[in-house]
Amino acid sequence: MSLPDAKPLDALLRGPRLWRGAQLARIEACSTGFAALDARLPGGGWPVGALTEIEPACAGMGELSLTLPALRAICREGRSVALVQPPYIPYAPALLRSGLQLRSLLWIQTPSATEALWAAEQLLREGAGAVLLWNAVTEDRELRRLQLAAETGKACAFLYRPPGSLQHPSPAALRVGLSAAGDGVRLEIVKARGGHPGGVTLALDRPGGSAATAAERGIRPAACAKPPT
Amino acid sequence: MLWICLRLPQLAIELRPSLESGPAAVTDGAGNRRHLIACNEAARDRGLCVGMDVPSCLLREPELRLFARAKADERRALHAVACWGHQFTSEVCVDAPRWIVWLEAGSSLRYFDGLSSLYTRIRDGIVHLGYTACLGVAPTQEGAALLALHRQVPPALNRIELRRCLQPLPLTGLDIAPDIAGQLQAAGLRTLADLLEIPAAALARRFGPGLPRHLQCLLGERSEPRRRHRIPPAYRRRFDFPEPVAALEGLLFPLRRLLQEFEGYLRGRDAAIQQVTVTLCHRDPAATVLELVTSSPQRDGLRLFALLREKLERTVLPSAVTGIVLAATHFVPPAIMQGDFFDDRQRRNESWSALLDRLRARLGEDAVRQLGLREDHRPEHAWCIVKDIEQSGPAAEFPDRPLWLLAPRPVHSLPHLLGTPERIESGWWDGQDISRDYYLARTAEGARWWLFRDTGTGRWYLQGLWA
Repeated sequence: MSLPDAKPLDALLRGPRLWRGAQLARIEACSTGFAALDARLPGGGWPVGALTEIEPACAGMGELSLTLPALRAICREGRSVALVQPPYIPYAPALLRSGLQLRSLLWIQTPSATEALWAAEQLLREGAGAVLLWNAVTEDRELRRLQLAAETGKACAFLYRPPGSLQHPSPAALRVGLSAAGDGVRLEIVKARGGHPGGVTLALDRPGGSAATAAERGIRPAACAKPPT
Repeated sequence: MLWICLRLPQLAIELRPSLESGPAAVTDGAGNRRHLIACNEAARDRGLCVGMDVPSCLLREPELRLFARAKADERRALHAVACWGHQFTSEVCVDAPRWIVWLEAGSSLRYFDGLSSLYTRIRDGIVHLGYTACLGVAPTQEGAALLALHRQVPPALNRIELRRCLQPLPLTGLDIAPDIAGQLQAAGLRTLADLLEIPAAALARRFGPGLPRHLQCLLGERSEPRRRHRIPPAYRRRFDFPEPVAALEGLLFPLRRLLQEFEGYLRGRDAAIQQVTVTLCHRDPAATVLELVTSSPQRDGLRLFALLREKLERTVLPSAVTGIVLAATHFVPPAIMQGDFFDDRQRRNESWSALLDRLRARLGEDAVRQLGLREDHRPEHAWCIVKDIEQSGPAAEFPDRPLWLLAPRPVHSLPHLLGTPERIESGWWDGQDISRDYYLARTAEGARWWLFRDTGTGRWYLQGLWA
């Protein structure tokens, strides 16, 4: 008994007449800096020229650390990164320590959400490498405009959304939910254009993780040795 | 010397852009002698023309709106056109009562790649300013002014050509007193050829010494005594509306013209600006002042206009605008762009700084921020907002800090603390001294907090998030 001959099938697959879905979706992406995540994402990273939605379960989950390696790469290329309407003060010493150049960083704070959206759109359209927007955008039309602006400017658009937003449909190319998983963070990919939904757990470079101890991070021992109660 | 003469026959009408709808005309003279000196297209369509007296005009067109001539406005407009003209040549002359500006082209021909290219540039430029212009080219100013009246006459490049061009022209365009023109007419002289045949002495005896002198200037046999227009060291352009304007659209046209004139002035001086002040005057003494600040040296009129427009749309005008003043005093060398075939980084920087200007114009100066560092141990003082980052700050080793900073907020139930505390005790010199023990904490949801305990009060506060 012999196995059926696989050669005709191989020839067919290699032939130019047959197009497969995976080949069709040519997705431009920039590496996230996390090998496990890159492997999961279509194109091998955050989509470039497209909108990515990130929905952290709460603030301080590592939602910004997640994008830092990609932002570092964008800064190194000489392009700018804009933080539009961040919920708290982006802390300059920490940003500098994490390898970003303050010169390439722009912080937009406007009184109204509409203005912020306009600013994000302009920045995406005209030369920013990445725009991170914190905004309670709910309208499908507004999301589409962001997506279109990112496409025009070949920029990465990250939209941080409040919990519960992922239940609603969206034109974003990538939608990710963040939740805590032990010392790391669990990414739930709800939608990935050209890929499959799924989950991945990452260990972020944040203090208090299993990877780093307090001593390694260079914290000076304080005079107050006794932990307060 | 080769002069390009710009005659602006519609100046009196065109410097009032709000007169575009319905027949309107500008008049000069008093009492029965009032006559039209310029009229708009609607009035021309109804058969009115320059030189008609007012009563017969009103008889033909009862709805004609009449405006008295505003010589100061005309002078200002011509001064601005002359400033604009300095981008083409260093020698500019103005004849304000006749609405003429002369530009000396002979010395700039090579730079602008020949006469026809320069001529086209000037003609297009003046159209962009919103004026109708007739151009004439001749080796003398008066000759160019006369040729500008006759569109079909080709440019005269030397005196011989000028004489040939002038001969068939009628005497009506000559800049001479009306009574002398009448006498010439009565004597049966019709063209310049007729006039030039007569010896100068005979002309002087019969018509006074002014006429032969004028003819000599015209032909270049005598130098023309006319003061040169000097480019002012600081720019200030005032524009008054004939009627107060309340709508934004009404402001945009004159503003665009003002900024385009300004661009010509900057090119003439080979300078750029980073700051220009636009003042909108109202009936009451308080004026609306718009400061236009750009992040890089700028002299593109349309780009400045776009910025100003953003700013205007955000500005609430207290009442109708009666006038505009554009002023600039500080000039910087322009950022000349060297084209690089392979690297578009410079172009990208250029458009990036233009974008920042636009964001600032629309959202306000404070909305667009850049981050900087300060040498301070207190976390809330270790950062600052800066206007322009020249260098990336001291690249010292920083202790680990959270990405988000919060204004300290009290914490009531303490999350799980990690590691050992960091004591920060500083600031005794400015009265905002702190003495705190900073802890890292992990909340039940998995967030990393940066907490501190005030060693004085023993209270706990949240000041940062490891996002």
